[in-house]
Amino acid sequence: MSPMMTIAKREFRSYFDSPLAYVVICLTFLLLGLAVFWVGGFWKVDRASVHLLFQYMPVALAMLIVPVVTMRSMAEEKRSGTLEMLITLPVKDSDVILGKYFGALGLVLILVLATALYPLAMFWAPWNLGPLDMGPVFSGYVGLVLFSCTAVAIGLLISSLTDSQAVAFFITFFVLVVLWFIGSAAEHVDKEWLANALMYVSFQSRLDGFSRGLIDTRDVIFFLSAMVLALVMAFRALERRRWV
Amino acid sequence: MTSDVMISASGLTKQFGSNRALDNVTFDVTRGEVVGFLGPNGAGKSTTMRVLTCFLAPTAGTATVHGFDVFEDPLAVRRSLGYLPQRAPLYSDMSVQEYLLFAAQVRGMDESTFKSRLSKVIEVCGLAQTLTKQIAHLSHGYRQRVGLGQALIHDPPILILDEPTSDLDPNEKAEVLRYIKDIGENRTILLSTHNLAEVEDSCARAIIVSKGRVVADGALDEIRSTTGRVRYVVAVDEKVAEGSHKPPSARELQGALDALKGVRGSKELPTDEKAHRFELSGAQDSDLRAELYRLMVQKGWTLLELRRDAQSLDAVFRELTRGDEELDRGRPVIDDDEDDDDSAENSDDKE
Repeated sequence: MSPMMTIAKREFRSYFDSPLAYVVICLTFLLLGLAVFWVGGFWKVDRASVHLLFQYMPVALAMLIVPVVTMRSMAEEKRSGTLEMLITLPVKDSDVILGKYFGALGLVLILVLATALYPLAMFWAPWNLGPLDMGPVFSGYVGLVLFSCTAVAIGLLISSLTDSQAVAFFITFFVLVVLWFIGSAAEHVDKEWLANALMYVSFQSRLDGFSRGLIDTRDVIFFLSAMVLALVMAFRALERRRWV
Repeated sequence: MTSDVMISASGLTKQFGSNRALDNVTFDVTRGEVVGFLGPNGAGKSTTMRVLTCFLAPTAGTATVHGFDVFEDPLAVRRSLGYLPQRAPLYSDMSVQEYLLFAAQVRGMDESTFKSRLSKVIEVCGLAQTLTKQIAHLSHGYRQRVGLGQALIHDPPILILDEPTSDLDPNEKAEVLRYIKDIGENRTILLSTHNLAEVEDSCARAIIVSKGRVVADGALDEIRSTTGRVRYVVAVDEKVAEGSHKPPSARELQGALDALKGVRGSKELPTDEKAHRFELSGAQDSDLRAELYRLMVQKGWTLLELRRDAQSLDAVFRELTRGDEELDRGRPVIDDDEDDDDSAENSDDKE
């Protein structure tokens, strides 16, 4: 096993050594269920669609899951000094960043994929409420996975800039929420170029297509490049310790 | 490896903003040596070790470990050494065995090698009882042992240990020092501490740093004699004197001692009610004992104790690193040398 995978495995396992992972999983399912079936009015819509799921899940990711999962990745290691122990093992800095990234992403993706239980339960077994169009469901999950990859990278970057978990949590929360809702702000902006720019970086408008069954290469590339950018910056932030 | 130089630092300089943490630090450690790296807190011990383990890059200068350059081949450097950072930061959510396995896997060790190494490490570090315990529940002494264990798991030729005995109680300290001695029989060890007794116990050679500079480097006896002073301890009965003579008061005695030729300073030592006790220092190549004896006879005082020895390492250390403390307190803290300060206070309290 490569050093990177060893780190990723340790990271992933450590989530389950504390109550954190369980709390996040339970809370997510509870809140998502409430949002989709109660607030969102799943029954009123009266259509065989899980569009609501794709509307609320990214918000749960941005506001709860990703900030909680990534807040400690680097910040906690820096605070407790274990980072020094880790980095002085024969590992590359990039192994550390990617190991941490895949460890956190693993947990987030498990959560994302676990939400597929909702459509499965509603439209396949035990209930079969109607014929579900699988296309948008598939593309919606592609969108969610891409969004998770990017959001976790951003969370990791922020965690590697501070040594306080709380600060990492709030800043990640803030950044992801802003990037989510910034598209709605575009409607209230007069200047067209500004509105376009806001729409361009808005995660919400980027994800919109996916939930309607449209996988646009531009959106895929947007998410992937944002992810790579955040990871490279996190790597630089880690490397910085050597020079200052 | 043809050369026997295992660790070589040349002209290491590290600048943290406006603060120079290391200033042209140069030294070599050869195969099989156990070297004590001494200095007050904030003198640059940890920084030097972090440069050697490629955690930090020096602003200027180079270093090689096991023949590998810290700039060019950091992975090879780290592969050939075991490092225990200050305070043994370990993942507290893992058990001891899991942690050691993790360290071994990151180092790319296979299962069977790990098993055979693990039994060695358990034996050397005394971890048999704690193997399945969670690290969070271990005492500080045991955490240090686990830290030593992970540094030894891959059987490295070089060990770098940053204050392996700080925060330990005297029993734990003695244990850890014993492990280091055992381990050190066929390895090169660089070990930092601010406790001089430990160096005298476990090292043959010491490097003393102060304000980022190497101020002394050599065998312990050599270092002891660097300041060129000899220490005398004199005790005189304060109640009884010879015949009609009167016993001296402390001030009278000190005056008489200071007046002797060759005495370069005196200091009263604490004693019981019966005697005055003074510490004198004199030049390295002279012997004041005869003079002292004659003084006592002439005054009719009762000499209870007279001793001459080389200056203690403690005194040498204080002399070489004088003024460091003040400087450190006002120094902007960049790394965890801040922790250093309280750990020093703690350990001083205990001693």
